[in-house]
Amino acid sequence: MNQPDVVVIGAGILGASAAFHLAERGYRVVVLERGAPNREGSGTTAGNLHIQAIHTRRPGQEVPVDSARLLPLQRRASDHWSQIEERLGADVELRRGGGFMVAETAAQEAELREKHEWERQAGIPTEVLTGDEARKQLPLLSDRVRAASWCPLDGYANPLLITPAYLTAARRLGVEVHAFTPVTGIQRVGDDYKVLSGDRSWTAPVVVNVAGPWITEISALAGVGIQMSPVAIQMHVTVRVPPVMHHLVQHIGEGMSVKQVSAGNLLIGGGWPAARLDMEGRSSVSVPSMAGNLAQAGRVLPFLGGLRLLRMWAGPLAATPDEMPVVGEVPGHPGFFVAGGTYAFTLAPVWGDTLARQIAGEAPADPVDDLGPGRLLHDDASTPVSP
Amino acid sequence: MADVMAQSEADVAVIGGGPAGLHAALVLARGGLSVVLLDESDTLGGQYYKRRAEQLTAAFGDFRPRGTELIRQVRDSGVDCRTGTLVWGAEDGGRTLFTSDVRTGALGRVSTRATLAATGAYERSLPFPGWTLPGVVTPGFALHLATMDRVPVGQRVVLAGTGPFLLPVACALLEVGARIEALVELNHPYRPGFSSIGGALRQPARLAEAARYLLTLARHGVRVEQGSRVLAAHGDTQVTAVDIAQEDGSVKQLETDALCVGFGFRPSTELPRLLGCATEPDPSGTEQLPIVDADGATSVDGLYVAGDCAGIAGVHAAGVRGQLAAHAILRRLSPERPTVRLSGLRRRARALDRFAELADRLYPLPTTADIPDETQVCRCEGVSAGEIRQAAATGWNDLHGTKAATRAGMGPCQGRECGHIVAALAGRNEGAAECFAARMPIRPLPMAATVEGQEVP
Repeated sequence: MNQPDVVVIGAGILGASAAFHLAERGYRVVVLERGAPNREGSGTTAGNLHIQAIHTRRPGQEVPVDSARLLPLQRRASDHWSQIEERLGADVELRRGGGFMVAETAAQEAELREKHEWERQAGIPTEVLTGDEARKQLPLLSDRVRAASWCPLDGYANPLLITPAYLTAARRLGVEVHAFTPVTGIQRVGDDYKVLSGDRSWTAPVVVNVAGPWITEISALAGVGIQMSPVAIQMHVTVRVPPVMHHLVQHIGEGMSVKQVSAGNLLIGGGWPAARLDMEGRSSVSVPSMAGNLAQAGRVLPFLGGLRLLRMWAGPLAATPDEMPVVGEVPGHPGFFVAGGTYAFTLAPVWGDTLARQIAGEAPADPVDDLGPGRLLHDDASTPVSP
Repeated sequence: MADVMAQSEADVAVIGGGPAGLHAALVLARGGLSVVLLDESDTLGGQYYKRRAEQLTAAFGDFRPRGTELIRQVRDSGVDCRTGTLVWGAEDGGRTLFTSDVRTGALGRVSTRATLAATGAYERSLPFPGWTLPGVVTPGFALHLATMDRVPVGQRVVLAGTGPFLLPVACALLEVGARIEALVELNHPYRPGFSSIGGALRQPARLAEAARYLLTLARHGVRVEQGSRVLAAHGDTQVTAVDIAQEDGSVKQLETDALCVGFGFRPSTELPRLLGCATEPDPSGTEQLPIVDADGATSVDGLYVAGDCAGIAGVHAAGVRGQLAAHAILRRLSPERPTVRLSGLRRRARALDRFAELADRLYPLPTTADIPDETQVCRCEGVSAGEIRQAAATGWNDLHGTKAATRAGMGPCQGRECGHIVAALAGRNEGAAECFAARMPIRPLPMAATVEGQEVP
């Protein structure tokens, strides 16, 4: 299929979701992936389904996220995730055990109450509990927990399963997935884009750039300057233990997320910075971040101190300079779409659906004009690479 | 971090207290450098110079007295010997090492000017139907029981696999009263007039050693069945029988209560790989070895490797390589010292290397293509060969993708046991040995110290 309707660049969760949603509408789609699908941020992320608003800054994050703006999209994502296993015909270890967002200080508790109001307006059910009320529901929480916001819709999906599940479902609908196929050039040919990988090429009227941290590089091939601020963050996982906790536990003041996955391991994350972002190979973990993240998690959930850390890893996060997601067609470049940025895991079904609607010329289910790529454009895109 | 990790400094850290590490530490300390020797075990000695418990030493005598003497010399030379200390991570080209006290979980950070990894090797296991049954063990485990505890692993033992190591294990088992039903050797190393015998003649001592073992086996009437292999182990709660494919293609069944299967050794390279040192495939094509110069210097400045972790060559080569690496570190850190003549050591190292190459040729590994689909490959996560092949067949997955898709290599051993098999089953490029990335912590790390160590900011 050298002349598909859409070429999707990147087989992370967004590429997989976009391909699936487009194929459901009958589009002929080719997905090009430089390495193995799901190998980068999508496969190294925590897998949290953030339905209630979370902390506004990762450790070290300069610009806070506009939590209130994102809540309607999270509400939409919640509905998508509820149907996802049925829709994809796959088990992705989806769990909707609900989540606690804990506060240790008065200021943090005030933050919980503030966001509770936004959540109410967005139609997301949350409840602010006292520390004792929270401990009654989850006795593993320490006395340090002063208050907690409870959202029954929070959950988890296995990031190692969801992207392959999307790709498998997309393949059933006729999508071609080409792994180990790095895009080396993008040319404008009439109203179409000719996407090259070495001596192979695909020509289509629509290109979807969902290359995560490489969005800038891929855009530059098409002469589009898009500014991203990719970072590397790290995750920690303990050995397997019998089921102890089916909730997602997070911290409103600092980056922290803890949950027990289906296999029994506890995943501890929260966006702590890795030692180094390596765009060519594997990013390396930071021992101070490990110590910080584990100490903080152990403060909230002291039973973690009795476990062993099995492994940690770092992966890229395709952040934007304003920390808000990006989705939509690039102004001045008809047919060239971009999606990425923070919350890509939770919002993946929403962004797949949004891109499919936009490409079909329909209005998205929720307005996203303010999240378009126009705000990230700059003039100094490198010259497109010619073959 | 400062408050949770005990800090210490040394000119050189040597990781691993086996033959390579002991010899190196001794040279370094006698050369005037401050040396910290870190080993995960309770005692120094590594696998080869393993220490027998006091009561057993009193009853049965010292095990490998050369090791006792070497350890005494190392301690007397002023080396800071820290046993029970796991090195679980490293940074800065090895100049920062993260440690954990195996008993208390207390964390430490060691800062050095140079580091020598002498982390040894693992036994190589290859899966076959029934290999996870109780009673199926590695030859090294059987040897440990026989030599340290004077206990036979079974009454009727079948030894199988390939490699010269099966011979001393068989002899040690006989010594503690086990009956050996058969020694099933995959290859044909033991026939007179082998074309490469010239290579071995340069090491007459090693050849004589093998001949002595074979003689002992013959005296006890042990059958050495060459060109044969284990097809499957049977049993309900314990291995009771083994199917052996014989050279003529026929299959016979042996009754047994212990099956020891091993295919030589695999270098333990996590630490150098974690530090990003350049690697190349080993002679078997299934492992990635650090690329080193004649002194064990890696591509990472200040990081040296010696002993089996730099390529399987055995105890004698480990000692020599450890000394050469130590001299290189001395030249680096104490350039004012007078030059030491090392031509004798270097000659010996080259001769031992040739012997190791001969062993590689005599005992080639079997193909993984024969592993039946239903055979479990990753024991930690319960992943079969078929599942791994299936994940690879999507065409989407490299080795890491295969791990993600199947969970193979995600358990407590982090793929140390199965990684080389998963790599062979999932290999996309013929011949290019991929391996799982080395990650911190190198061993599962107790979290208590980290979790309790830090106060609210």
